[in-house]
Amino acid sequence: MSATQKLTLTSSDGIDIEVERKVVERSVLIRNLLEDLAETATLEPIPIPNVNEPVLKKVLEWCEHHKDDPVSMGDDDSDSRKKQTDIDEWDQKYMSVDQEMLFEIILAANYLDIKALLDVGCKTVANMIKGKSPEEIRKTFNIQNDFTPEEEEQIRRENEWAEDR
Amino acid sequence: MQRESRSMNRRLSSGANSTSSASTSPERGVDDDNDSFMHLANDSQSSLVPSVADDVSDSLAREMAERTRVSPISRLPAELMICIFQKLGSTGDLKNCMLVSKEWARNSVGLLWHRPQTGSWEALHNVVQSIRSAHQYFDYSHLVKRLNLSALGQTCSDGTLQPFASCKRIERLTLTGCSRLSDLSVAKMIDGNRSLLALDVTSIDGVTDVTMRAVATNCFRLQGLNITNCRRIKDAALEEVARSCRHLKRLKLNGCIHLTEKSVIAFATHCRQLVEIDLHDCRSVEDDAITALITEGPNLRELRLAHCLRLTDNAFLKLPNETTYDTLRILDLTDCSELTDGGVQKIIMAAPRLRNLVLAKCRNITDRAVMAITRLGKNLHYIHLGHCARITDTGVIQLVKLCNRIRYIDLACCTNLTDASVMQLATLPRLKRIGLVKCANITDRSIYALAKPKNPSGSQVAPSVLERVHLSYCVNLTLAGITKLLNNCPRLTHLSLTGVVAFLRDELLAFCREAPHGNDSKFSVNLQELTLTQSSMSNSVRFSACSRALAWVVFANISTTRPTAMASMP
Repeated sequence: MSATQKLTLTSSDGIDIEVERKVVERSVLIRNLLEDLAETATLEPIPIPNVNEPVLKKVLEWCEHHKDDPVSMGDDDSDSRKKQTDIDEWDQKYMSVDQEMLFEIILAANYLDIKALLDVGCKTVANMIKGKSPEEIRKTFNIQNDFTPEEEEQIRRENEWAEDR
Repeated sequence: MQRESRSMNRRLSSGANSTSSASTSPERGVDDDNDSFMHLANDSQSSLVPSVADDVSDSLAREMAERTRVSPISRLPAELMICIFQKLGSTGDLKNCMLVSKEWARNSVGLLWHRPQTGSWEALHNVVQSIRSAHQYFDYSHLVKRLNLSALGQTCSDGTLQPFASCKRIERLTLTGCSRLSDLSVAKMIDGNRSLLALDVTSIDGVTDVTMRAVATNCFRLQGLNITNCRRIKDAALEEVARSCRHLKRLKLNGCIHLTEKSVIAFATHCRQLVEIDLHDCRSVEDDAITALITEGPNLRELRLAHCLRLTDNAFLKLPNETTYDTLRILDLTDCSELTDGGVQKIIMAAPRLRNLVLAKCRNITDRAVMAITRLGKNLHYIHLGHCARITDTGVIQLVKLCNRIRYIDLACCTNLTDASVMQLATLPRLKRIGLVKCANITDRSIYALAKPKNPSGSQVAPSVLERVHLSYCVNLTLAGITKLLNNCPRLTHLSLTGVVAFLRDELLAFCREAPHGNDSKFSVNLQELTLTQSSMSNSVRFSACSRALAWVVFANISTTRPTAMASMP
């Protein structure tokens, strides 16, 4: 089976998307699926029941750009442990989307098991958190504060040691 | 299992707003977090789109939909929030996340308390208060997985450690150099802890057999034990440890002077997963123990026996003839002065994939041993033959011809060697570090050869990759040779020239500084380094003849933040 072979994916909203095998194999979920399937079966469209068309297209855009990256098989390669939040320029631009799409990408990357994309997504969100006060974080993500003032004060006190100095 | 994770994910993806049982609450099971630091949870193959399951009432579903509309991030399940929090480098950011909402607090508290900050007294005091407090918001003591008090060193007393005795899920306890501690607090930490994976009590004289027995009774999962310089520990207690801690992989018993082959053999026979053992300075250990370690340990990779003065050839001669031990990669026999060519020949036969071999101060060995070492061929990367004064050019030339992947070689005080050896060494394409201290015969010819660019494949010429060159007391060297070296080795970061007359000039001595302590003490004597810093740049104009050379050194120093300590080179 050649890497340039075309496959068809069907999004959750029933849209067929044609895509190069090599591109879609960035997804470990799909790669494993293809390995398990008989050759003829790959001619059938592959349903992706949890990802809708706009998100799937967006994810495939990333896979296309990164299709020649070395594939990491290990599940805990060393760079996942590094807490650095550097993101390369193309990925940064790619991630300049509204929050709705950003979290959809992260969910899809997790479901499709595309570790590098999940990583970039998480880093992007982490960068939105860094250096902000709790109130600024709440504003950024529209989160309601469900602590009582007493609870908030207690947590602040018990975790004072974690203050950056 | 699968079913369970699916249902959990459905719960998580559907808002996870039940305050009771989100997967990351501090009440998670003991076995939730193995050694790795909050690995990515990749086991979810489940629904992402909040599926409205039968057991979720319509109103709840509506509420959830409204919530994800207003705040899209609430769509992410706990496991993904943890992934995000993991990317935050600072504890300050994590603390701020804890204060955002109850859900965020539940998902970040585990990461924050995984390894509480104990580097300063102020932080430590606050951590202890939170752990002890009767009405804590979270049960912090069960979240602590790593505790490291080594920064406090001697100021740390039993009273400092005692409050942490309630942290029974600690996996890594590091007390290196907390020399005032004793069994009183350390054994109490260990009592009842079934999670401990690594214990480091280096240089705590007050840690004795009592603590070791506590380890044997409790820590069945232990994988790493470092009792360096715990001089009071004796065989009997360690034999108990060996019998119950069967998963031990890394063991450092350096300087435990009372230990004999009895405890070492116990480790060899019971701990079949042993990967690394260091018996540096275990002066009472005899041959049988070493034979047992090699024959019994199918995974043994690193065997360090420096200064095991009782060791003889028999440790290796007793190995069975037909068997090879392919996992053994690192062998340090520094100062095992009884060792002779026969022992070396045997160990090379038995461990053909050795990568690092240290025979410094094995003064009896000759070219016959070096010829045996050449059998390692491409596997050999690191070889130390310092003070093996009997070896000659013949041995070294053959070694270089057959082991062309050598990156590190030390031949200090091999006084027979001449330019012929070094010119051969200079052909090694990957040579990064060369030690020739007190090889007094060598001349500038050697240095010219080292400085010459290499063309290993015959097509492309590449500059030398030398990083560290030690030439102290090579008294025949001149400024011309060294200038050539500096001009042609762009990666050079260290150059030692102590006692070389041509460099005992005031204007050059201005650039010298004392060698950093500890770094190289093992390998060179009174090493002074020609180390130029940025501020000395302006001075360098005085040496117009070699200004370019000096610029190289300056460059090398700026680009290298911290020179690699040779001892830790792989």
